Amino acid sequence: MLRSRRRYMAFELETEGPAGSIQPKDLMGEFAASQFSLFGDEGASRNRIKLIAFNGRYGLIRFSHVLVSQTRATLAAIHSIRGIRVAIHSKGISGTIKSATEKYLPRLSKLSAESDGRRIELKDVSGCIIRTQGVKVDLCPDDRDKSVGSDTRYLGLTSFDLSGGHEDADGTADGL
Amino acid sequence: MNFYECVKVYPEGSSSASRMALTARNLGYKGIIICNCDPTRIFMLPAAERVKGIEIAVGVEVVASNVRALKSRIGALRIRYPFLAVRAATDETVHIASEDPNLDLLVYPCDVRRPLSIATARAAKANQVSIGFDISPLIHLRGSPRARWLQAVSRNLQLVRKFHLSCIITTGARSHIDMRSPRDLAALAEVAGFSPEEAEVALNRHEFLLAQNRRHWVGPGVEML
Repeated sequence: MLRSRRRYMAFELETEGPAGSIQPKDLMGEFAASQFSLFGDEGASRNRIKLIAFNGRYGLIRFSHVLVSQTRATLAAIHSIRGIRVAIHSKGISGTIKSATEKYLPRLSKLSAESDGRRIELKDVSGCIIRTQGVKVDLCPDDRDKSVGSDTRYLGLTSFDLSGGHEDADGTADGL
Repeated sequence: MNFYECVKVYPEGSSSASRMALTARNLGYKGIIICNCDPTRIFMLPAAERVKGIEIAVGVEVVASNVRALKSRIGALRIRYPFLAVRAATDETVHIASEDPNLDLLVYPCDVRRPLSIATARAAKANQVSIGFDISPLIHLRGSPRARWLQAVSRNLQLVRKFHLSCIITTGARSHIDMRSPRDLAALAEVAGFSPEEAEVALNRHEFLLAQNRRHWVGPGVEML
C-alpha cells in the first residue's frame, strides 16, 4: 500500500501573552478543536494535522498534500488559546521538513521579548510598555476602555507613533 | 497580486495605523484602507506613512443617526475620501446605501433572518455598489452560531452570483491580531462557499475602486484630465 503524500507548513504564532505562554500541547489541542469544528470528524479523518515542532513563536505542521486550503482555514480560524488572543499566520508550504525549515523558518529569531516597564505619555494615549520587538511596541493603556470592542488587552503601536510625540518621552533612538 | 484590507485603527480599534501597516506588509498586502468612522481622529497617521512598502489609503465607514443624514453624509464625504463603506445595520440603511452610486462598499451582515434581498441586489448592481462579506464570524464564532452564519453567507452568495455583483472579503480587523494573510483569507472564504477565483477577485477589488475614485470625475462617464 502506498504511503499518503504529505506537506509541511511553517507558521508563525502572534500572541498577546508573554513569550512562551503557549505550550505545544495547547496549540495542538486548538488545532484539533478548530478542525473538528470547521470540518467535522469526517474532514479531520482525511487530514490528520500533526505538530512537528514549535518553539513558542514559529512552528511546523504536517498535513495531507491535497488539503492545503482546509489546513490554512483551520489555522486561520483560531483566534484565542486558553483565553489569550493569538493569530496564526502560515509562512509557506513545502514537501519536506528540511526545505520548509530552510525556506520559511528564520534561523535566528529573538524569542525573549524585552519588557522594561517604561511609560508612554502622549496626548491621546498613556500607559506602560509591555514588550517591544523591533519597532513593534505593545502598550497596556491606563484607560482600559481604550481597547474595548476589539477584544484585546493591549494596544499595538510602533516606535514611529511614539517618536517626536510628547516632551515627557525620554527621547531615545527608538522614540520611547 | 495586489491585495488590500479594510481595517479600523486606534482610537476605534486597538492598534495604531503604523502597527496595522507593518503587520499588513509582513502578511503580503499591497495596502490597507483605514475605514474609521471618524477619519479626522486617527492616531498618528503620519507615522503609518513612514512604514515603507505599503500603501495607506484613508477611507470612511459612514455612520449617521438616520437615513437622511446618511445620504447627505455620503455625498459630503465622497469628494474628500477615495473609499466609502457602510455597515448595514437596518433595512432603511441597506435601502439607502444600495441606491447611492457614491458608495463603494456595503458590508452586509449575514443573518438568516435578514438575507440579502433581490431588490437590494438589483439596486447594488445598478449603482455599482460592492457587497462586503465580513468573515470575522468564521474566526470568532464556534458551533451553531457559526453554522447559521455560514447558511446566511451561502444564501447571500447565491444572489451575488445571480446578479453578477462585485464582492469584497474583509475581516474587519480592529487589531493587528485580527489580521489574516490574503491566502488565509481566501482559504476561509472557500470554507464559506466562495470559489478560489471569486475569493481572489474579491481581495483585489479594493485597488480597482481606489484607482477609479482617485480620478477626477466631473459627471457620469466624464473625466477631467
